[in-house]
Amino acid sequence: MAVIAGMGLSAVSTLADASGPEFPTIDDFLPPTILFSGTPFAMNRIIFIRVLITVVLVLVLGISAKRAKFIPGRWQGLLEWVLDFVKNTIVYEAMGEERGKRYVPMITTLFLSIFVFNLCGVIPGLNMAATATITMPLVFAIWTFFQYWIAGIRGRGLGGFLRDEMFPAGMPKPVYILLAPIQLIELLLIRPFSLTVRLFANMISGHLLVALCYAATQWFFIESANKAIMPLGALTLAGGIFITLFEIAVAVLQAFIFSVLATSYINMSLPPKEESIQ
Amino acid sequence: METVAAGGISLFLPEPYDIFWSLVVLIILALFFYKYFLPKFNQIFDARAEKIQGGVEKAEKAQKEALAAKKKYEDRLGNARVEASKIRDDARAEASHIVSDARSKAQTEASQITENAQRALQSQQQQALVSLKGEVGTLATALAGKILGSKLDDESIQSTMINSMIDDIESDKSAK
Repeated sequence: MAVIAGMGLSAVSTLADASGPEFPTIDDFLPPTILFSGTPFAMNRIIFIRVLITVVLVLVLGISAKRAKFIPGRWQGLLEWVLDFVKNTIVYEAMGEERGKRYVPMITTLFLSIFVFNLCGVIPGLNMAATATITMPLVFAIWTFFQYWIAGIRGRGLGGFLRDEMFPAGMPKPVYILLAPIQLIELLLIRPFSLTVRLFANMISGHLLVALCYAATQWFFIESANKAIMPLGALTLAGGIFITLFEIAVAVLQAFIFSVLATSYINMSLPPKEESIQ
Repeated sequence: METVAAGGISLFLPEPYDIFWSLVVLIILALFFYKYFLPKFNQIFDARAEKIQGGVEKAEKAQKEALAAKKKYEDRLGNARVEASKIRDDARAEASHIVSDARSKAQTEASQITENAQRALQSQQQQALVSLKGEVGTLATALAGKILGSKLDDESIQSTMINSMIDDIESDKSAK
């Protein structure tokens, strides 16, 4: 539909002899299904990228792990550095080694998967983050959701967990009328929703900015009838390169933020008593 | 613009097939990291830690052993030196002992030989004396017979002759 609308628009524009660049739209994030259409296993472009990059990730890391040696080479050294970073800087820093040990695999999975999925947005040929539909961030967030609820219930029981979270000690009684529902909504909705939207929106805006710059560059250089505005293309090209680099940083940063928040949500659900012992 | 607006809402509405594939991907990744990737690397990390620990311990042990061995050798060397000097002293003492022993033995032997010789000489002398005495007696008697043959009645001459003869012998003997 968007295509038709776009064609209509461009047809109108052609008449006006001012066919603008093919600017990206949010329809880029709602691509048509390309495989198994109409079945529950239908795949669109983004899902295909996601499955493809998962296979690549599992293969590359699997082979790396299989070939992992006692004395690491450069690649293994880099992998070990990343694993060490997730373990020490993200998990142990927040909850200590004793409590953190259980969650290291989860946070490592989150960090590396989100990072590589995000990176797809700037990999030539893919050009779309595998986290760029709401579902993937949502699934990661729901996993986190279950983990911090389970952590809370295991530590204090469902009642104890809810009581501690909804009625934090040291408040005047009437405040609880307002506070308790807010806390409950936070636990049930806000945390997973914020995790999801933060990641998803970052990927969308990143893709839109990169695509915008390159579409404009293409238009200025090739499609524009007016050759006098060609130098503007250099500007948009530089902007595109800059934003591409920026997106790489965002890919790391969002993976890091997601992992840190997941860790701290779980940590907040763990009974505080043990924390004072540590 | 209507389609774009509709898309805006549908951006936040997960498609069932998208949920399916996201879950599949998540489960694959989680299984991979939980069951294979991290255990594998943890195994390597543990082995490395163990090896480093073991290496340090081994080095410490080796050093301790080396020190002990060194001490042992030094002790042995000292002992050997002491023993050698003792043996040398012993040998020297024994040598001097042997020499003095031999000397004293030789001396005794020599004196014994001398003594024996003297004794033999003495006994021979004695024997000679005795046999001489007997012979002298016989000779004297023979002489006396002869003399008696010529001067039998001269008793005084006879006794004088015998006496002087015996005296001669006596004096001869004492002179010896």
